[in-house]
Amino acid sequence: MKLVILGRGGQGVLFFSKVLAQTAIEEGKSVKTTEIKGMAKKGGVVEVQMKIGEGYSPRIKRGSADLVILLSPDLKAYAKTFGEKHFFFSKKEMEKALKEVPLRYVNIYLLGIFLAKTHIFDIDKAIKVLDEENKKALLKGYNDVQSR
Amino acid sequence: MSYRVYLSGNEAIAYGLITGGVRFLTGYPGTPSSEILPTAQKLKLRYGFKGFIDWAINEKVALEMAFSSSLCGIKSAVTMKQVGLNVAMDPFVNSAYIGPSAGFVIVVADDPGPYSSQTEQDSRVAAYFAKVPVLDPSSVEEAYLFAKKALEISEEFKIPILLRTTTALSHGKSDFVIPEITIKDEFQPAFKENLKNWDKEVLRLAATPKQRFLLHKALNEKLKTISEKNKIRYFYEGDILILTSGMVFSYLMEIVEEHKLQKKITLGKVDMPYPLKKEDFSKFKKVITIEETAPFIELLLDTEGRRNGIVPSEGELSLEVCEHILAKIGLIPERKSISIPPLKRPSLCPGCGHRIGLFAVKKVFGKKTIYTGDIGCYTLALNFGVTDTVFCMGAGVSFAGAMSKIFRLSDKKRFVVGIVGDSTFLHSGIPPLVDAYHYRFPFLLIILDNKTVAMTGNQKTPAHTKSYEGEPLNSVKIETIVEGIGIDFVKVVDPYDYRKTVKILKEAKKYLSESAKPAVVILRHPCVYTKEGLEKNPKKPVSIIEEKCTGCKYCISEFECPALQWDEEKEKVFIDKTLCINCGCCIFVCPKKAISEV
Ligand code: SF4
Ligand code: SF4
Ligand code: SF4
Repeated sequence: MKLVILGRGGQGVLFFSKVLAQTAIEEGKSVKTTEIKGMAKKGGVVEVQMKIGEGYSPRIKRGSADLVILLSPDLKAYAKTFGEKHFFFSKKEMEKALKEVPLRYVNIYLLGIFLAKTHIFDIDKAIKVLDEENKKALLKGYNDVQSR
Repeated sequence: MSYRVYLSGNEAIAYGLITGGVRFLTGYPGTPSSEILPTAQKLKLRYGFKGFIDWAINEKVALEMAFSSSLCGIKSAVTMKQVGLNVAMDPFVNSAYIGPSAGFVIVVADDPGPYSSQTEQDSRVAAYFAKVPVLDPSSVEEAYLFAKKALEISEEFKIPILLRTTTALSHGKSDFVIPEITIKDEFQPAFKENLKNWDKEVLRLAATPKQRFLLHKALNEKLKTISEKNKIRYFYEGDILILTSGMVFSYLMEIVEEHKLQKKITLGKVDMPYPLKKEDFSKFKKVITIEETAPFIELLLDTEGRRNGIVPSEGELSLEVCEHILAKIGLIPERKSISIPPLKRPSLCPGCGHRIGLFAVKKVFGKKTIYTGDIGCYTLALNFGVTDTVFCMGAGVSFAGAMSKIFRLSDKKRFVVGIVGDSTFLHSGIPPLVDAYHYRFPFLLIILDNKTVAMTGNQKTPAHTKSYEGEPLNSVKIETIVEGIGIDFVKVVDPYDYRKTVKILKEAKKYLSESAKPAVVILRHPCVYTKEGLEKNPKKPVSIIEEKCTGCKYCISEFECPALQWDEEKEKVFIDKTLCINCGCCIFVCPKKAISEV
């Protein structure tokens, strides 16, 4: 499976991706990723390409991603260069995230939503790779979807 | 026992070097090589072995230190980016003749693209030039294995080995299995053993030209033996041979499998591009080399590739480009190219001290002044007109010196202001400042001192007082160096104190006009990109007074804080609170006083 995760600097794209990668490794799959941070620091685009259980290189060809995950909704045009299937969070979900958890756990809360909605990854394995605080944030996001 | 790791190419290299026995590791930070050394430091903290792992002032010094440590019998390595190898060229070439006494590896990261470098140069060519064997890994796991292999070859033949990586490999991550890490004390026994032979080694270590000839001959012998053993590895069974090395090999494997080209293509993987011998390719109907970034194997083995226009001569050979090359030779259909929308250009972080400091410089010296910039975050001052030249490390100082002299000799009067960061100044800005003082070159040098190598990920500088292990270090003061040269106009100011900064810059301007000697102003403010920097940064929340904002956009074009954004509907500026760090600097920028403290 080929995933691309996109967002702005400061949104925790790298940690979001790291948890996904570690979850896949927990599931016994091989993982290859690439982080492209560019020169832009705060506010710049952060891009992670991830191959799970396939390939030799950590790069993904434009137009070939199975799914593009967007943490920032303004990157849709750029996301399209990787593939047609996109996963993004609604404005309501973003706002709720900010209310439910402290700023630094927003990315993991969103990850919980992603896990609940897609079932691509095993939530029990994801929990295993997180510390207590992150686990709480992840479950909050996950259960928010379940209870809807 | 073995276990699964998930590492980047750079981390894998550090694991390979340390488990391979390296006990002296130094280097100079440079994207994409910067994470190797900090990873080795983490391993040292975790396993607690004797050795030295820390940054050097520049690549030349780094290479000399690591090489001399190898002469003491300690396995040693040095890391740098490709343009850093240019800085270290003198000791690099020499190290092949002299030969190390213990394993010695030079890790160099190339940057095809380029993503964050001045050139796309290929370090394999530099290795050839210096007669140093070079290994070119194709995957993260190979980066780990080749780091170990490099040490083994180096130990066996007493020859330096260049381990080459590229951005795609250094920053790519992968999971793989390594044996359990056991760390032996390699330091003491190796050192003692080496000391026994010390006196005999003098002929080699301080060789005269006559002996150099003999050393050259011995080096050629070593290279010949190594090349005999160096064999190309073949994959698949087609009658078109594609030779390759490095990450491109992994791309080609993927493309071959995706398009089922196993019966059409044979991939020839070159693990060690130099020294490489010709092999018999007569059974193939075509031989092409696809490699980053120079036609290197192509020239050594005389194949098709760049020279007959099949492979593009510039840019990264990404998966897409590799596919395009195979389409060009008719192996797969051409894919429609995908156009990539432009992304926002990078700018200095919100609240960065460089921004307000250089804004003050622009205010005092005006737009006609020539600003010779340098390599660092502050290169981005280009965006708001306070940088006219960017060349190579330290050139901001030499350019300013020579250009100020030229203008003084000509009939045009212009101020020249050189801009250099603290770590770039220490790297190679001091020698040109000595010349400038000696020859009375009349320019102002701005040294932006944020006490870190910010651009490459906030590595430590010689200003620090503690090592990563908590050992005390002597802190180097830039003003002491500058005063020591003899320069008498030396001022230090925090650019957040805007009024004081402007006052000092005005004094400097007056000094230049009257004295015809160089002046130095050090703008000192910690980088706000680090956690401590941000926590300790003064807080002065601001807001836009909408009635006063005329929508002139001066603050956007002349100051460019990413948190100052344009509201299309209202045609006014607003502050993006998710980006703003409440530094309060923009208060001094708006000519209409529309930005004020809340
Ligand atoms: S990393 Fe530090 S020095 Fe570089 S732009 Fe950001 S705040 Fe400025
Ligand atoms: S805030 Fe000031 S400088 Fe910026 S657009 Fe408004 S009036 Fe112009
Ligand atoms: S206070 Fe002004 S200059 Fe500082 S970060 Fe906020 S918008 Fe930018």
